[in-house]
Amino acid sequence: MTTTPIRLQPPPVEPAPVVSVSAASHNAKMLEPAELSVELSGVNAFYGSRRVVRDISLPVRSNAITAIIGPSGCGKSTLLRCINRMHELTPGAHVEGRIEYHGIDLYAPDIDPVAVRRTIGMVFQQPNPFPTMSIHDNVAAPARFNGLIAGKAAEHDLVERCLRQAALWDEVKDKLKAGGTSLSGGQQQRLCIARALALEPDVLLMDEPCSALDPIATLQVENLMVELKRDYTIIIVTHNMQQASRVSDQTAFLTMGDDRAGYLVEMADTVEIFTNPRQQLTEDYVSGRFG
Amino acid sequence: MTTTSRPQGIHALRRPRGLGQDGVFRLTLRVVAVLIVIPVLWMMVDTFAETVPVWERFGIPGFVTGLRWAPSFTIYGALPFIYGTLLTSAIAMVIAVPVAVLIALLITEILPPRARTWVAVAVDLLAAIPSVVYGLWGLLVLVPVLRPFEQAVAGTAGKVVPFLAGPTPGPSYFAAGVVVSIMIIPIIAALSREVFAATPRLQREAVRALGGTRWDVIRTVVIPLGRSGVLAAIILGLARAIGETIAVTMVIGNAPKIGASIFSPGFTLASVIANEFNEANQELHPEALIALGLVLLVISVLVNGLAILIRQRFARGVGRVV
Amino acid sequence: MSSSALAVSDRLRATSRARHAKDRALMVLAWAALVVAVVPLVAIAWFLVEQGVRSISLEFFTSDPPGDLSASGGGIRNAVVGTLLMTGLATLIAVPAGIALAVFAREIGGRVAGSVRFVVDVLAGLPSIVVGIFVYSLVVVTTGHFSGLAGAVALAVIELPVIVVASDELLRLTDRRIDEGTRALGMLRWRSFLSVFIPTALSGIITGVLLAVSRAIGETAPLIFTALGNNFFTLDMNEPVQAMPLLIYRNALNSAFPAARDRAMGTALVLVVIVLAFNLMGRWIARRARPADQR
Repeated sequence: MTTTPIRLQPPPVEPAPVVSVSAASHNAKMLEPAELSVELSGVNAFYGSRRVVRDISLPVRSNAITAIIGPSGCGKSTLLRCINRMHELTPGAHVEGRIEYHGIDLYAPDIDPVAVRRTIGMVFQQPNPFPTMSIHDNVAAPARFNGLIAGKAAEHDLVERCLRQAALWDEVKDKLKAGGTSLSGGQQQRLCIARALALEPDVLLMDEPCSALDPIATLQVENLMVELKRDYTIIIVTHNMQQASRVSDQTAFLTMGDDRAGYLVEMADTVEIFTNPRQQLTEDYVSGRFG
Repeated sequence: MTTTSRPQGIHALRRPRGLGQDGVFRLTLRVVAVLIVIPVLWMMVDTFAETVPVWERFGIPGFVTGLRWAPSFTIYGALPFIYGTLLTSAIAMVIAVPVAVLIALLITEILPPRARTWVAVAVDLLAAIPSVVYGLWGLLVLVPVLRPFEQAVAGTAGKVVPFLAGPTPGPSYFAAGVVVSIMIIPIIAALSREVFAATPRLQREAVRALGGTRWDVIRTVVIPLGRSGVLAAIILGLARAIGETIAVTMVIGNAPKIGASIFSPGFTLASVIANEFNEANQELHPEALIALGLVLLVISVLVNGLAILIRQRFARGVGRVV
Repeated sequence: MSSSALAVSDRLRATSRARHAKDRALMVLAWAALVVAVVPLVAIAWFLVEQGVRSISLEFFTSDPPGDLSASGGGIRNAVVGTLLMTGLATLIAVPAGIALAVFAREIGGRVAGSVRFVVDVLAGLPSIVVGIFVYSLVVVTTGHFSGLAGAVALAVIELPVIVVASDELLRLTDRRIDEGTRALGMLRWRSFLSVFIPTALSGIITGVLLAVSRAIGETAPLIFTALGNNFFTLDMNEPVQAMPLLIYRNALNSAFPAARDRAMGTALVLVVIVLAFNLMGRWIARRARPADQR
């Protein structure tokens, strides 16, 4: 084996705000550049020759929740999957444009996509705990495989910390050996969040994380997101506008163009988007007139 | 570029040097696959090489259409065995197809769910019994049991049709066909069962809601939707029948000629190889037997290929045979 | 009762007798078909138990057959041991090879994987006697003699496609969502297979292996040209080795001798018990695992 395991440090309590100022985004002016975590500039995504995302530029603020909303089929999920380089796993799919993470071009030739996915966590629409692993192992195994922890005690600490962060600890602390799939849907989703947290990412991508959950579980996950933004940068794709307005700090509104590719209509602070949008399209969408 | 806010600097994201663990993993998989596939292909080529003297001596058409098989005169013709293979397979299919399809319908359409599993398991068990045990049972039990029936047919219809005429020594194409039919019923039944079970529930209920009987459901939905899947199942059963060896060897009577009647003893491609190989000491005899094996190979690859084609084209839902 | 009610009740009753008759005729036919299929099953079971049991004794498993088939006495120790040795070795070859091919086909994909699947499909459809001929050309002709090793290779070639197909199908069934989960966690691919995909598919793979073994144990035709058979006990896989199906076959061909006939039936009973044990175990595991798969 030729690689040495890539060891990630735990995120510091206080983020040190030193980032090069990027002039790429016209929307960046309303944000403090130092706060940028992920920055997309001119991103296009393709399935084969079909373009599904057109020329999207998004500055994503650190320690905030950024919601991506828009009608179904407008490329929200695809855009999200470009950020941790999941999109290119679909045969024939590719990405053009630039995505920077704290100033690092994530698509530079010397960047390892696997390491990107380790650094930028993702939670999916459907909870997907590993069926043959216990609750404990679902959280511990990925961290163990990546060489982040060694030893039973460290493992146990990690599992407890992540499950607490995911607000699941009290419900499962007595049955850590039970199968991951024995939990309810909402619990499974929080388990998947805990599993993603175990890799100590600082960005968490959430692809409609509540669409398979009931209202109570949805509320729990939403509260969790607000908790988590102290330590993490969260980008959430949702078709649920109430959810976006409840939890997010900034919102990007995408819609489908005539070429059936999604493009960015407007991005601003969430309050702005929902109370005082600059574009007519946005107003129509958030007031429920289309979509 | 200035320093970054988060400790995961560019170093953590950098591609590992060389292949990386995943690269090694993929390379290993490729090497292993080649190491497994090459010997398999090699043994096919090697087998063909063994038979070259036969093809040189008789030519492909000469060997395949040759009527006489006489090792002590170095005369080798495959036709009696091709005929035997086709005839026993045909007999087996005539018996097995209706029985197997009816059983599949019984299991999916008629039985209550609980009984369904038990009947399915019983039928599947028939597929698990080794060929040699069928042969033993066929030889000691079935052949004597079939004889009165054979005599009756030979004594009546056989008087008019030479194809059904006596004598009826017992071991024969017919006996082999019956044994093979018992062996392929479970195969065809199991595959057809999968096809019928895949009929969408909505379609069944639509027919029921229109006042249809069970027969109507079968007639209007189950069979039309499953037709190509069942055809594939039947062809796979045929492939099995063509290749069946030991059980046939034990009940076919082992005569290297074309018997005029289905009650005559004969030989199939597979059974002549099994029967003569260990005593093959005449000139070109082993090579000729291997050549028969290649003829069998070609026939069964064609038949299997047809089944695969039908399944891919028309019956997406059907699983592969295990 | 009013006349209109009568009409309705007539309508409810009279749903065409003819159609019901057809329904019933179908039932009768289907049941008859089942009887046709199950009668042989019962007949074979009865035949084996009734005729085979009397051959079974302790000596039957602890001694070797007499040199002369027509002589009574002796046992089938050499055949039982030979079958276990060859099937065991075949399984040791076929299981890693089969799983590796399935993982290869899933992970590498593309045209190469397609051709691997094609080779496997061809192997799956080959008559077992043709497999015997292939291995004869590859091993027996090359080494110059029949051997238990050649027999094991032939049985491995028979097991291989069954195991590949079972593993391939199951690895494919492993949810796409689970696959994305491992990707998003940045897990290395070999790790994903070892710790997630293969464990998820494990019960199905075990079922495939057990069914493959149950088929290999009963195979006769490929052993005729490879293991050949041996009247004596041996543990040397470089020598010809006896197997239960071969012993049944050779004794059955001499079933005019009561001793050979009894020996064949006793062995057949033992063989069927072993084969069905593997087969039922495989089905039982598959059945137990099914609810988990539907999660």
